[in-house]
Amino acid sequence: MDTIGEFISYLQALGPSKFLRVFWFFVIFEFFRYFLLDLVGLILHRVSIWTNRKRWKRAREEFKKENPLVSIIVPGKNEGKHIFKLVKSLSEQTYRNYELIIIDDGSDDNTPIICKSLLKNGLIDQFYRNEERGGKASAANLGLRFTKGKYIIHLDADCSYDNDAVEKIILPFYYDKDIGGVGGNVMVRNYKESLVTTLQAVEYFNSVGIGRIVTSQFGIYRIISGAFGAFRADVMDKIQGWDIGPGLDGDITVKIRKSGYKIHFAPEAVCLTSAPNTFKKLAKQRYRWDKSLIRFRLRKHKDILFPTQGFSIINFISFFENILYNLVLNFMWYFYFIDLIFNFPNLILHVILTNLFLYTSMGYIKLLIFGLFRKRTNAPNYYFIPYIPLMVLYFGYFLRFVRTRAYFMELFFKASYNDPWNPLKTSIHAKEKGL
Amino acid sequence: MKDINTEIIPSKENDHVIEFAGYTFYTIYNTDSLKTDDIVFYDVIIIQAGDPEFTRHIITRIRGHFNPEHYLKPILLLNQSSLKDPYTNLLDGTLYSLEQIKLILPKLQNILLRIKDLTFSSSLSYEALIIQKVLSYMYSRDMEEMEPFVDFNSGIGYNYPILSVNFSRHEEHQVLNIINIMLEEKLMKKEFLDSVYLCTKCTTGYLSYREVCPKCNSSNATSQDIVHHFPCSYVGPIEDFKNQIDDALNCPKCNKTLRHIGVDYDKPSIINDCLSCGHRFQDFNVKAKCMTCKFDNEVEKLNKSSINALSVTKKGQIMSVSGYVTTSKDLQEIIGTVKMDTFRTMLKYEIERLKQTEGNSNLAVLHLKNSGEAYSTMDNELQRTMLKVLIKAIRKYLPTSSVITFYSSSTILIAINDLPLKIARRLTEEIITLMRELMETNFKNMIVTLEHEVKAVTVKLSSDLQIQQLVKDYI
Repeated sequence: MDTIGEFISYLQALGPSKFLRVFWFFVIFEFFRYFLLDLVGLILHRVSIWTNRKRWKRAREEFKKENPLVSIIVPGKNEGKHIFKLVKSLSEQTYRNYELIIIDDGSDDNTPIICKSLLKNGLIDQFYRNEERGGKASAANLGLRFTKGKYIIHLDADCSYDNDAVEKIILPFYYDKDIGGVGGNVMVRNYKESLVTTLQAVEYFNSVGIGRIVTSQFGIYRIISGAFGAFRADVMDKIQGWDIGPGLDGDITVKIRKSGYKIHFAPEAVCLTSAPNTFKKLAKQRYRWDKSLIRFRLRKHKDILFPTQGFSIINFISFFENILYNLVLNFMWYFYFIDLIFNFPNLILHVILTNLFLYTSMGYIKLLIFGLFRKRTNAPNYYFIPYIPLMVLYFGYFLRFVRTRAYFMELFFKASYNDPWNPLKTSIHAKEKGL
Repeated sequence: MKDINTEIIPSKENDHVIEFAGYTFYTIYNTDSLKTDDIVFYDVIIIQAGDPEFTRHIITRIRGHFNPEHYLKPILLLNQSSLKDPYTNLLDGTLYSLEQIKLILPKLQNILLRIKDLTFSSSLSYEALIIQKVLSYMYSRDMEEMEPFVDFNSGIGYNYPILSVNFSRHEEHQVLNIINIMLEEKLMKKEFLDSVYLCTKCTTGYLSYREVCPKCNSSNATSQDIVHHFPCSYVGPIEDFKNQIDDALNCPKCNKTLRHIGVDYDKPSIINDCLSCGHRFQDFNVKAKCMTCKFDNEVEKLNKSSINALSVTKKGQIMSVSGYVTTSKDLQEIIGTVKMDTFRTMLKYEIERLKQTEGNSNLAVLHLKNSGEAYSTMDNELQRTMLKVLIKAIRKYLPTSSVITFYSSSTILIAINDLPLKIARRLTEEIITLMRELMETNFKNMIVTLEHEVKAVTVKLSSDLQIQQLVKDYI
């Protein structure tokens, strides 16, 4: 009781300057960037939709009139068990003029049998198989080589799609001719499966459902998810497809940006994915994802940060924002923690509790306010109410530690080149050439 | 007593005929010299012809005949070594001069003696007729085994000597049906030799397997390797990497020259381009075009059949001598009849009932003498249909308490219960008239020979004995 009493007294005694001194990390970075800026971005997005409604209408009309062929490519290994469901999900699409191309990257299960059967029955249009696994990029590139469509959609086999998803993801190309790639809105399908999937659903709500609307609105949207992304075929020809992964979806987005095209996020083009259902699996996935920030942002595409030929301020901001909030802030959090230990050793418990309170409160406010901006949800917002306090531990601690390890391992050991996700035969060359 | 020649001498009446050791040898030089009906008058046939085609024709005519006096006739081949399987297996010997008859005589005598052991009865089923023929031939030649030969001219790719000769190339799949019946009836044992795949439409086995475009079924296609360049992950057909200056392969994405397979690139698969429709694909469809009927079969749907070496069972040997061959399969499932075993049991109960009631019941037999001739003109299905129609018609004449069974494919037994013998005879005669009309309507060029007999069932004899006594003249 004494501790609670002391904590309340501590809160009452906090003046604005002291609050800022102790909770500067929350105020400057988290509150400003992930609440205020997101809110402004969402409002601008809404305003932009309303003011450009005629332009969107024209885009829809032009799209319907042209009715272009869309090539959907689905590369993967041992994905046979998901393919039939995917095919069914696609057969419900409102947009019909598409060809479905499945690429089997050296599966060692019954995937080829399933796919050949689907091909024979006319449920998929093209099926290619590489006996030797070459990695996701090579499989995607093989599919890309044989596409005939004006637009290319890249899908993951284990996802399913809203029945208007294809239509919604292609539409932005008709809204703005400078758009080279469009990212779909990825939501967690299995949010009820376990605690970790529920927490990921909340995370996706913020970072994908809201975060990408905002970055897209500001023109700094930087990653077209591999689970659901659309590209102009001529742009893909120009950038010559995917390069070696892991992290190839972020890499291709940068390549498109560097070629002078815009990247757009389509929040209404919804894709449901199955998120990892244990913390161990999640840690493994994020460890892979997070390494790519160092590899692609700081190494392969570092030229974006320097005023070299073809410098683009918007690309610079996109990179800078990404590096600042993901990399710099991640390490700065440790400095913040050390700052607290050294300067406020007696108040450390109160500070931690207050931080928990602040982050949780912000979580609820975001759920409430940002929820109003979402047209399509995969789960009712109230479902997540009990889980918001846990987000501090999940996002603030668990994922932070995973991220720190990933950055450290990539910075000092180039660990991504040893990732078995990509075959060694290709990673060796990528490492040699700094790709 | 007739003089037995110890020297080979030409006949005085016919220059085609020679006589030796009491046997007459008829020599065939060309088709004109062979009147099919005539060969029954001679003991042995000698084919002396330069043309293998003609020889094959003669052999087929004799061995393909349905009269045992023709198809069992010993045949020798004179002065012709170019004849190959399977026809040589239908011969009983090859001579280089007529003098060699002396050497082969014991074998011929043995064949002719064994033929005398055989009994022949007409059989309703065409299949039964062929089976009887096979068994008789094998018995007469003291053959226990029949091995098929690979034969280009065979409709199924394999020739079973005395069996295949009965069918034209287009109908040769029936050989396999007959073998199956023989195996089911345990007349033969089998030993697996090979499998054949037959056209789904015409059931012949002369198929051309082709890799075809899955879209347009054309086999006009080209193939090329898919190349994966490791450093930049470019993957595409090898044509993307070729240039017009030299043989080097250059990556179209990063312009690097491909150096070492397995190190900086590999070829993970191939791609095919259809030159007819332009379709691009990895896996060809495999189709089997029937060279007989031109039907393009899906290979998965081809009829697969086993080719087996056959050997005669004890049952088969007994049946070949007794001449009674029936295929119970043909006679089962004909509505309005019961199986022979059931008929026997029912007759047994009827005898017991008669012992108690002193009533009158009768046993009738109907026999079609030239059934083989009738059935040879019909396929299995038609035979079955005809039997069904026949039984349905017979049933209309009989009280419902009557029981009908097929004793053999040419013999029908009827238990006409609870009626005086006089009425049973009248009913049977009416049935015979009906059957004759039916047969004459359906087989216009055939003389129908129907026989029948009716006997009252007696309580003094067993059911089996009464059946035996009734049918003994018809088997």
